[in-house]
Amino acid sequence: MSVPSTATHEGLPVGKLSAYFDWLQMLTGAALILFMWCHLILVSSILLGPGVMNALAWFFEVTYMAQVGGPLIFLAFLLHFVLAARKIPFATGQQRLMLANAKRMRHTDTWLWVIQATTAMGILIMGGIHMWVVLTNLPITAEKSAARIQTGFWFVFYLFLLPMVELHVGIGFYRILVKWGFLDRPGRWVIKKKENLLTGIFIAIGLLSLLRYYFLPLK
Amino acid sequence: MARMLKFNIFRYNPQDPNSVPHMQAYTIDETESMTLFIVLNRLREEQDPSLQFDFSCRAGICGACGMVINGRPGLACHTKTKDLPEEITLMPLPIFKLMGDLSVDTGTWFRAMYKKIESWCHTKKVFDPAAQEERMDNAVAEAIYELDRCVECGCCVAACGTALMREDFLGATTLNRVARFMLDPRDERTEKEYFDIIGTDEGIFGCMGLLACQDVCPKYLPLQDVLGKLRKKMAFAAVNNILPSFLRKDIKL
Ligand code: HEM
Ligand code: SF4
Ligand code: SF4
Ligand code: FES
Repeated sequence: MSVPSTATHEGLPVGKLSAYFDWLQMLTGAALILFMWCHLILVSSILLGPGVMNALAWFFEVTYMAQVGGPLIFLAFLLHFVLAARKIPFATGQQRLMLANAKRMRHTDTWLWVIQATTAMGILIMGGIHMWVVLTNLPITAEKSAARIQTGFWFVFYLFLLPMVELHVGIGFYRILVKWGFLDRPGRWVIKKKENLLTGIFIAIGLLSLLRYYFLPLK
Repeated sequence: MARMLKFNIFRYNPQDPNSVPHMQAYTIDETESMTLFIVLNRLREEQDPSLQFDFSCRAGICGACGMVINGRPGLACHTKTKDLPEEITLMPLPIFKLMGDLSVDTGTWFRAMYKKIESWCHTKKVFDPAAQEERMDNAVAEAIYELDRCVECGCCVAACGTALMREDFLGATTLNRVARFMLDPRDERTEKEYFDIIGTDEGIFGCMGLLACQDVCPKYLPLQDVLGKLRKKMAFAAVNNILPSFLRKDIKL
């Protein structure tokens, strides 16, 4: 029994909700990371040619991975948002404390968290729009995607969304590893370097794919 | 050539109604093997007898001299001026109650936290003063000692973004203290009892893994490892009863 910090007639029982939420936050985060890696394969397959991408998209379609998996990912996305947002300070006083602390200490990991929390808000809005647009306009084909991106508006839209997602995912991956004790102290520095490199590569592949869509000749 | 060091030191005396918080500049010549502890004592003796700061052991043992040194919490007696630039800013640790200038009261905070986690060995055995002390396995004793090295300086708390935002957050040092009792075979508390203390958003699940605690701890405690294991242990404690047996885990600290 912990000593209650407020005067109730008896100590409030400590439920397991915090633990369940932490599990779910981590598991939805991990599921979204896995999804983003698959997503990258699909999107960047355009670099190998529209035929390859269409074949992959067709595969996801006939196996119902797009129709069933898509909404499931959307659900995981929303669940993850609700759970993780509990950690984001909404009171300006707290936001200033966090920022001032990161600046004062010149501490990378605290900065990484600030980046994670800010990109999260961008992803919530832009990722939500993106998922809606794609999932209400199935099937996915290289031509439809290219047409969208060539409007110009979507090209710029993705130029913002891409780095935000990759940063959030990269930092999130690192954070799961440290929070759940998968890394020892030396291992932390090794992973951080690799993770930065990986994030850089993913952003580069994403940019190349975007350019490819932009210049893909439309029939 | 010896450097002239410029110090910007936070000044404020809450006892004095006329005092307003401000930064005051001092200059002092650097000497060999100079620590901030030496600087502060010389400043007080030679330039400003009203300057308030804490120390007692001057050897990184008592934990009294924690302060924010150029933005990062650390021990004044443990910090050499030769590792710092010419201009040095000293601030009191945030979160703790300010006594005056660089002096803060960490004791009240630690006492309150230790009360929350019941920081003592819980045992039903009646103490027998005539009996020989029970023996402890050397490896266990060493593991406990590793965590017991914490000097309660409060640096990890002052560096933690979570603790800054939420004053009910236990902080790395308190969680480390719980881990210490988990390791101790004399403490008879069950996993459930530990869960009730730290299996909350104020406890281990509030920690966001920023690891500032690890990066500033002047005693190099293995906080990253301890926090990681505590999270795993408490997370599994919550779900073990619903998991199929091959997924269940009893995490050892
Ligand atoms: C809907 C918008 C989103 C919001 C508001 C959000 C918010 C957050 C926040 C604040 C954290 C840090 C939690 C902490 O420090 O304890 C976090 C962690 C994480 N996020 Fe997100 N996120 C969003 C979308 C995503 C997406 C789309 C992905 C992956 C594609 C993702 C992957 C992760 C991962 C892997 C973590 C680490 C999990 C953990 O620390 O337990 N997030 N998220
Ligand atoms: S864990 Fe380290 S930083 Fe924290 S109070 Fe103990 S010695 Fe100080
Ligand atoms: S890991 Fe971060 S959030 Fe957790 S106690 Fe350390 S500094 Fe605070
Ligand atoms: S004076 Fe004791 S730790 Fe610095």
